[in-house]
Amino acid sequence: MLRHATAPDSTQRSDPGFRGYHSGVGFRNICVALFALALAYLAGGCSKSGGPHGPEGSGVDLSSVPPSAYPLPSATDAARFLNQASFGATEAEVNKVKTYGYSAWLEDQFFMPGRSHEAYINAVSASLPSGQSLDDSHVMNTFWREAATGQDQLRRRVAFALSQLFVVSLQDSTVSEFKRGVASYLDMLGRNAFGSYRQLLNEVTLHPMMGLYLSHLRNRKEDPARNRVPDQNYAREVMQLFSIGLYELNPDGTPKLVNGQPVETYDSDDIVGLSRVFTGFSWAGPDKSDTRFNGGGTQDPDREVLFMQSYPRFHSISEKRFLTGVIPAGTNADPDGDLRVALDTIASHPNVGPFISRQLIQRLVTSNPSPAYVARVAQAFDAGRFTSGLWTTGTGQRGDLRATVAAILLDTEARTAARLADPGFGKVREPILRVAHWMRSFNARSSSGNFLLGVTDDATASLGQSAMRSPTVFNFYRPGYVPPNTSIATAGLVAPEMQIVNEVSVVGYSNFMRSAVQNGLGSGTPRDIQPDYTAELALADNADLLIDRVSLLLTAGSMSAATRTIIRDAVNSIAMPATNQTTARLNRVRLAVFFTLSSPEYLVQK
Amino acid sequence: MRASRRQFLKTASLMSMAGVAGPFALNLAAIGAASAQAAPGYRAIVCLFLYGGNDHTNTLIPYDQPSYDQYLAARDTIAIARDQLAATATGAVASQGGREFAFHPALTSFKARWDEGKLAVVANVGPLVVPTTKTQYSNRSVPLPPKLFSHNDQQSVWQAQAPLGEGAKLGWGGRIGDLLAGQNTNVQFTCISAGGNAVFLSGQNVIQYQVGSSGPVAISGISGTLYSSASAAAAYRNLITGTSANLFENELGVITNRSITSNQLLSASLPPASTFPLPNPTSNLASQLNVVARIISARSALGTNRQVFLVSLGGFDNHDSLLTQHNQQLTIANAALNAFYGWLGQMGVQNDVTIFTASDFGRTLTSNGDGSDHGWGSHHFVLGGSVLGHEIYGTLPPTAFGTSVDVGQGNMVPGIAVDQYAATFARWLGVSDTNVPLVVPNVVNFGTSRYLAFL
Repeated sequence: MLRHATAPDSTQRSDPGFRGYHSGVGFRNICVALFALALAYLAGGCSKSGGPHGPEGSGVDLSSVPPSAYPLPSATDAARFLNQASFGATEAEVNKVKTYGYSAWLEDQFFMPGRSHEAYINAVSASLPSGQSLDDSHVMNTFWREAATGQDQLRRRVAFALSQLFVVSLQDSTVSEFKRGVASYLDMLGRNAFGSYRQLLNEVTLHPMMGLYLSHLRNRKEDPARNRVPDQNYAREVMQLFSIGLYELNPDGTPKLVNGQPVETYDSDDIVGLSRVFTGFSWAGPDKSDTRFNGGGTQDPDREVLFMQSYPRFHSISEKRFLTGVIPAGTNADPDGDLRVALDTIASHPNVGPFISRQLIQRLVTSNPSPAYVARVAQAFDAGRFTSGLWTTGTGQRGDLRATVAAILLDTEARTAARLADPGFGKVREPILRVAHWMRSFNARSSSGNFLLGVTDDATASLGQSAMRSPTVFNFYRPGYVPPNTSIATAGLVAPEMQIVNEVSVVGYSNFMRSAVQNGLGSGTPRDIQPDYTAELALADNADLLIDRVSLLLTAGSMSAATRTIIRDAVNSIAMPATNQTTARLNRVRLAVFFTLSSPEYLVQK
Repeated sequence: MRASRRQFLKTASLMSMAGVAGPFALNLAAIGAASAQAAPGYRAIVCLFLYGGNDHTNTLIPYDQPSYDQYLAARDTIAIARDQLAATATGAVASQGGREFAFHPALTSFKARWDEGKLAVVANVGPLVVPTTKTQYSNRSVPLPPKLFSHNDQQSVWQAQAPLGEGAKLGWGGRIGDLLAGQNTNVQFTCISAGGNAVFLSGQNVIQYQVGSSGPVAISGISGTLYSSASAAAAYRNLITGTSANLFENELGVITNRSITSNQLLSASLPPASTFPLPNPTSNLASQLNVVARIISARSALGTNRQVFLVSLGGFDNHDSLLTQHNQQLTIANAALNAFYGWLGQMGVQNDVTIFTASDFGRTLTSNGDGSDHGWGSHHFVLGGSVLGHEIYGTLPPTAFGTSVDVGQGNMVPGIAVDQYAATFARWLGVSDTNVPLVVPNVVNFGTSRYLAFL
């Protein structure tokens, strides 16, 4: 049971967690978390089906999971749920949710094992012809493989959301030297997706890819004689982006106002104080020599996947004053102790619940959650527990992400179909989600097994977005982005994903999907990734049945009558000949899929 | 689908009446005034935004020996060696008390334009609400720009009017566009970004048009035979440009429709990319400038007389590996701007196009060992045939700690406001004195020195 909860993939050896708890805090936390988890799990009344559980399933007996407050969903409600909780609905998952209900599906997913991105990279690396080296496309490919076919879909979707909050990017020339490290970082996010926020923050902070990206790896203490101060990069962004944000928040995520003005959470002095904490950390290895700190000498071959270690000689002993914390000046450098105090201080700030909850809601469900929705999720974050109907999940520890994710997906605002009619509800599907959805709904398979799609940055000819390749630490788009000169702005709404929608990207997407629907995706001839339209072809003679199926999988059955009419007429414009109907059927299916994927109704997840 | 000037005015007036225009409401009189004083001929500005916060200290380096010694003492391991600077040195600059400076060694074309009198330096420019001293900053006794030192916030402060930050909706490039779009037949080509989405180009009425660095590309599904159907392409176009009650869906249709109509116009008008051969080293920035050049060269066909462009280059957040990374990025900028200036000459519009730099912020004078951190004021560069170059505008403070502008770690309280910098471009493009505050409202706080003298 515990094995499944904590090690969803087979990365024990190369998993930074196993050699990264040098500070002690990590290990202690995880022990507490595991114990609490075990209790909660038993208390929740879940039982296992017995015997050792192989990698093929979670071991959760779905029929014994207590029901949530919602009745067993219809197919359309199930598809809608899956479009929020996974990389896209499939027939099999729709049936699973319909049969067992939301809580059973979530419970199953919480314990579902999955594959490791790093293991994929290692395997590719071992099989590369001599003279060839890993490139970014390999990281993309493992991402696509798991998005399309991974059975631990909820973990993948949440990890992808976390990768947009806790950003590291292969666009950075230093980070891009470490493909395995980036794969390991994505694994780390997945491993913590249903764990504790505090632990996640610890692992994000100490992962060498973050250390490289925000330059606290090899960060030195101040040297007044040479006018040198610690690098402030991580100190700033950990507060602005990873935890509390710029302004004091109410529990519902709205800014606290004093005399009508928002209240800043920190100022330059807090940055200076906190920057001293993030000194004296660098590459892991068997010793703590100055040479190793500086990245030289004989490097640990696994350093890119091992948490950074502390080097007291390079750690500041000056006073460190930030937020509500003060670490007095000392005589002995204690980098691990200082880090623990700093992250405890940050993680216990009351902003964290609403700040993180609101952004996760935006990534999974809707761009403009009501303050009450944010408050309910933040409450689950703070309480570490979420209850719906007879089902309860979470450890009871503040910052429990399992409870947070469950609260997001089972909130009435996420589930009620009445929201569909709200003109401001939903979120623009980001390009990666659209393509992954197409792969899943139409059972795309890779003939190489490796999903050779690669980098999709080019907005003109592909998606204008690649996983783990954000332009900056501010992600592809900001949670507060307002598209100027639009009815969205007039309505006072935000639309984060619209930040990467423009006159160029709409062309790139349409042409990319036309080609994908027709010819598949990826390198090779035929292309490596091919959809399987068998089920759709069987319906192709009847436009309505064909559209019903495509609409269920892609739009959760929400296609409007007007859109349906356009697509039906277009499908029917392809005549079915009396004989040799194969080509006509294929054309009809492709048209229905391409039109639906291009329709604004699909492009907005509701 | 051409949006004529008449339609534009109608739209503007409707928006004003509907009350959506906000506190800086555009009015017809404002447009009329701008149009009335329109100079004949073509003018454009091109903003090169250096994302990440350019390290100004290593972009324009003190070169005379005493100044250089100060710089070296301050910067330690991130100082550029003096013997690398001889080829790009400015010579003594009278306005700066005879001090000498040198461009970063990669900026050879900056030095060439400087020598030709076509490149000016604007010293220590940055966001300000009112003229501000170090003491006023320390005492917080005057209004200050929000969230100094933060990337996304300062990008927005540089580019936009209130509300600032992530929800910013109005950029000063877009506001210039609002006031001058009446001079363009095709209003949608007034404010064009080849460098990604930037609030800089969004006005109240004028919409930022984004173009790819390879130029216009068509949606293939809207023409010809689609999946063997002759009628499907028209249906597809209807589908993807349709309206919806859902605001997000509706906006996707609006953008797609704009993309299709603009693409048709541009495709019919632009010369091939090869008209303007890319430099070596080439770069995405060079390609962005290439498409800008193509659009400028099609100004007659497109009926554009006043344009605001944005191109961008990232990679300036050099907390780490400053010497290497900064050199790489400036090498790209140098080659791209050198080529672009040549292309303007090829078209005979060097005097009609002015290029300027902008960035999130300057960086600390202090070193963190291998790089520098977020700052405030910064030095910027203005390039073009109409620029009164070979001069440094404003005061370049001593490159040392504890100066009259040092607010900590050598970060400078700006001596020149972004609003003054912006006002200078707005006026040059033809925005009237009366209307300049509509572009940069805080410029009224700067008394008689609303404009800088480089244009």
